Amino acid sequence: MSTQATGKSLGLLLCQQCHATVRALGVKYPRCPRCHAHLFLRKPHSLGVTAALLVCAAVLYVPANLLPVMYTRSLLEDERDTIMSGVLVLLHNSWPIAVLVFVASIVVPLLKILGLSVLVASAWRRSPRQRAQRSQLFRMVEFIGRWSMLDVYAISLLVALVQIRTLAFVGVGWGAVCFAAVVVLTLFAARTFDERLLWDAT
Amino acid sequence: MPVVVCPSCDLAHRASKAPVTARTRCVRCHALVQRRENRHIDTAIALAATALVLFFLSNAYPLVAINYNGTTRAATLLDAAEGLYAQGHAALAWLVFITTVLGPLLQIAILLYVLIPLRRKRRAPGQNTAYRLLTQIRRWTFVEVFMLGCLVALVRLSGYAEVVTGVSLWSCGLLMLALASLTVHTSPAQFWRWVDWSRA
Repeated sequence: MSTQATGKSLGLLLCQQCHATVRALGVKYPRCPRCHAHLFLRKPHSLGVTAALLVCAAVLYVPANLLPVMYTRSLLEDERDTIMSGVLVLLHNSWPIAVLVFVASIVVPLLKILGLSVLVASAWRRSPRQRAQRSQLFRMVEFIGRWSMLDVYAISLLVALVQIRTLAFVGVGWGAVCFAAVVVLTLFAARTFDERLLWDAT
Repeated sequence: MPVVVCPSCDLAHRASKAPVTARTRCVRCHALVQRRENRHIDTAIALAATALVLFFLSNAYPLVAINYNGTTRAATLLDAAEGLYAQGHAALAWLVFITTVLGPLLQIAILLYVLIPLRRKRRAPGQNTAYRLLTQIRRWTFVEVFMLGCLVALVRLSGYAEVVTGVSLWSCGLLMLALASLTVHTSPAQFWRWVDWSRA
């Protein structure tokens, strides 16, 4: 195994805020000389916090998909829509949009929870295998995370628009709240995970 | 010898040779280590001013309106958050409000507050704290996702009601582009390069 110089081995800290490289050997609570942010060699308690957030997200993922996210009341019908039935409704109007919502609301959150779990596990075991791919997986999870908010925004706009007293009414269901919580929790989980831990094994 | 550390895998690289116009990738994990950093501060200020105008347009006019059995109803950007609040989902309303209204506004305001004095080689009071807040708020601004959400909502409604797009939908699209370009122009490395230049 080749020994490559890393920030850790050289005693260099990378400021998470301004990306300055700081030499801080033997300082107890170092701060960035440029922007005064607190400096850490690795994000503190990264794996534990990320795992905890992932467990919460995984638990909430169930009601997010089972509870209705939206109530529709009109002269003709009374409907409750879950995320999946919303996708099926969209399928009648335009299938590309239905696929988009399906991917953003159902596939992406699941992929994020599973992907981050794999990453936390492999960082925990200090596994040296396929680190480049894992690093790439993390970057992908980080990039796609925000797109899950799609359905929340669509619902919020429908709620604002369809309020024609007696004719039609759209209400928000608790499923939407759970779903938004899943998205926010996974966003935080991606934030607290320190990807450099994947490379620390060597 | 100056050293640059990869933000993704902590590998140390020599920094001396890389020009400021180039992107540098980590040799081990291929993450971006350096971006282009020779942008002009005037461009960033102009972009921020443009974004501010677009932000006001986006909030002043309705995004979309629907025609349903002779009744018309329009919704603005703020209505989206307010509708959720009115139905008792305050947390959800705050989430939508922060990510679509407060986030963009704070981003623009902080950049103008910090960059205008910097251009004249001065430091705004609390500059570092303001910039740190900016990097936080950037992670929570989802205007581009909101635009796609609008599209989904419109497709869902198209079967039931006549949908009329408003001025704000277009300015919101432009705001999304302006914010994206602003983020590229004021990356941390670029911002601190300007700060170093103002001290010189």
